[in-house]
Amino acid sequence: MLIWERLFDFLGIVGNLVVDPINILILFGAVLMGIIFGATPGLTATLGVALLTTITYGMNSSTAMIALLAIYVGGVYGGSYASILINIPGTAAAAATALDGYPIALRGEGGRAIGVTTTASAIGTIIGMLFVVTLSPIISNFALQFTSYEFFLLAFFGIIISGTLTTPDIVYKGWIAGFIGLFLATVGRDLLQFYPRFTFGLAELDSGIEVVPVLIGAFGIPQIIQVLRDRTTLPKMEKLQRILPEFRTIARYFVDIVRSALIGVGIGSIPGIGEDIAGWVSYGSAKNSSKHPESFGKGEYKAIVSTETANNACVGGAMIPLLNLGIPGSPPAAMLLGALMLHGIKPGPLISFDHPNFILEVAAILLLASLAMWINGILLARQVVKVLRIPSQIFMPIIGVLCIVGSYAIGMRIFNLYLMLPIGIIAYFLTEMKYPIAPLVMGVILGPMADENLRRGLLISKGSLMPIFSRPVSLILFIIIFLTVMTQLPIYKKVKVVVKERFFNS
Amino acid sequence: MKRLSIFLLTFLFIFMSFNLTMAKGEYPARDITAVVVWGAGGGTDTCNRIVTAEMAKIIGVNINVINKPGGVAGSVGMNYSYSRKHDGYTITGLSESNVTAAVMGGFNKKFDIWYPFIVGGSPGIISVTPNTEWTTLEELVEAAQANPEEIRAGAGGAGSIHHLNLLALMKGTGIKFNFIPYPGSAPSQTAAMTGEINVVVTSLAEQQQLLRGGKLRALATLTPDPVELEGVGVIPSGLKIYPALTDYLPISQAIGMAVPNDVPVEVKTILTNAFKQALETEKVKNWAAENYYLLSGKTGKEASAEFAKLESLFSWTLWELGAAKINPEELGIPKP
Repeated sequence: MLIWERLFDFLGIVGNLVVDPINILILFGAVLMGIIFGATPGLTATLGVALLTTITYGMNSSTAMIALLAIYVGGVYGGSYASILINIPGTAAAAATALDGYPIALRGEGGRAIGVTTTASAIGTIIGMLFVVTLSPIISNFALQFTSYEFFLLAFFGIIISGTLTTPDIVYKGWIAGFIGLFLATVGRDLLQFYPRFTFGLAELDSGIEVVPVLIGAFGIPQIIQVLRDRTTLPKMEKLQRILPEFRTIARYFVDIVRSALIGVGIGSIPGIGEDIAGWVSYGSAKNSSKHPESFGKGEYKAIVSTETANNACVGGAMIPLLNLGIPGSPPAAMLLGALMLHGIKPGPLISFDHPNFILEVAAILLLASLAMWINGILLARQVVKVLRIPSQIFMPIIGVLCIVGSYAIGMRIFNLYLMLPIGIIAYFLTEMKYPIAPLVMGVILGPMADENLRRGLLISKGSLMPIFSRPVSLILFIIIFLTVMTQLPIYKKVKVVVKERFFNS
Repeated sequence: MKRLSIFLLTFLFIFMSFNLTMAKGEYPARDITAVVVWGAGGGTDTCNRIVTAEMAKIIGVNINVINKPGGVAGSVGMNYSYSRKHDGYTITGLSESNVTAAVMGGFNKKFDIWYPFIVGGSPGIISVTPNTEWTTLEELVEAAQANPEEIRAGAGGAGSIHHLNLLALMKGTGIKFNFIPYPGSAPSQTAAMTGEINVVVTSLAEQQQLLRGGKLRALATLTPDPVELEGVGVIPSGLKIYPALTDYLPISQAIGMAVPNDVPVEVKTILTNAFKQALETEKVKNWAAENYYLLSGKTGKEASAEFAKLESLFSWTLWELGAAKINPEELGIPKP
């Protein structure tokens, strides 16, 4: 009975939101803005939500929530455009999508790839939403299992897994790139004792190296140089593009979509970790569960479906601790928290008493936002692919300019440009030596988290690493990391052969 | 494509209409940026967003709030906004905790370079994880006396007001906690919920939801008066329980904003008037009442005097603790 009542309440709320034409206009507009923000290297979902927060102040709270959630959903989805079409992820969340999305586009199937990821993203968002409605209290308790050591291990895992998955030849190179990123992340004042590290007395380095200039420099510059150097044309577009959701393709990847959505919700609900890790973990599990993992990295649809479902499912996941505990699950969710407080809504354990229908309303908005995103995406895909018609000699310099604007725009700091260029040039040489770039960027994103939490964990345990093994969640994480590393080492293969001979061949 | 661009234009138009700027040439001729030196969703951030939104309506341009947390005592944001033009188009959202940036070596100027506006503050509350055995402040203090430096207590970063509150509590009662720093109040509260730390000091405004939801248990306020919280009851005053604490407490929060002191006088006047009017609006008043903030409304000299008092108290406390890097005497900060 209760479920039916809730369902009717839910439909009622959806209905109420839809009857107001302004809401619909803002819904579509904000999703579109989000997509543009996501697709432009340097403009992120977080920035979009931040900018919109100020503008929504004068609106009523439902309309404001529509605008903010819509730009969030759109921003997470939009990152895939740049990943697939030009191999420069629009946001860190879409970095894993570039691995297979770009090879697909090189085959001339860019439009189809976008069509498929659009549907996957929408389904991911909706599954995330279902969790918000049904399992909120249980999942928000899960969020409270994470203390300093768990955060450290999780951050470390994020770097290791992206290193493992992206290496074109030897796995060590991926890890080395990850550690270079970790090293870059130590620059600046340390977060516990405020000791300046590697700042060379420069005040600009006090706050550390910002992620966006690294993201843009490391992904953008090498790609621009390569395309211009080799005079390669960017992926061609086919005459006949099947953009409309191929329901058969989607049905084929149904299991992957569900698995990735679960991963996305789970990771989204962990405080402070967002869409970027979700994409990588989901990519990894898709590869592991695949019958032909060797096709990953060469343009596998399963991969892009998995990453895009997961990063959008993360949106719903991130809302769970935000609404139930007042703890934002991801960086854009932290901005949302500020926006909610402005509108007099205080998320926390009492939200279902103070604002009884609010969680349902958020779910309804997520549903509408994912539908609006899907419609927008399907309409846009055909148009967006046309950018590839522009000759690369003209197109890539434009991308270059966008990279510069994007690096500058995030903090309005000219210093970021001085960071972006050298990092881009270093990244170019690393790419030439077949070092993957994604783990480096993940290192910079997750480094401060790993660093701060490891040291805080040690403060708390007075220097002992034992809590890693005595707490269930951290033990599981440790075992996963250990296995991830061990299975890549040559010794593992030797042991495997020996074990096989001993036990199975005799 | 054409339909799309028409749609885009319509949308832009709607948003722009929120944004029609009035007079050109005179201040303010364009949007103002408020740089909050603490994280999004925290006390300083929320106060600034609420008040600047009302101020924006009064002076007729948008005030865009951005966050620049990090460094020592908000030094990153302060350095950033102080290095921008002193023309009134950059407001710095800050709080009492920023007065220590100078002695901590993050900002090389005394606080009197600012022209501050004080919105107000919320009383500090000491709370514990609900599954611990301590139900009163006395029990906690006794436990801490029995096991010095064993009980883990957290607050926002070293030198923040709640860290000072904790220090004052330790001094006044003669106990020692194992202090664990967090990047802000919100993460320290989360850590107290997970049991990573067992004692946490943050403001009532920041904690009230968690207290009412039973996720944390309040032991005492760190102000002279008890407070009543709906659904929780009366939280007693720690200063009444341990009168020796009155030597060190209360340390009152002063959340607000500032512009550099050498901003043109007419700009300061416009901002001061807008600020005072904003604090009188129903929206701000209701918001303060609902969120357990006490509004202050001090500006200019009055506000500077309050900050100078806090600066001297904070700086010298940290120096005596050995937590400060620069002698407050070198900076010309008088002893409290």
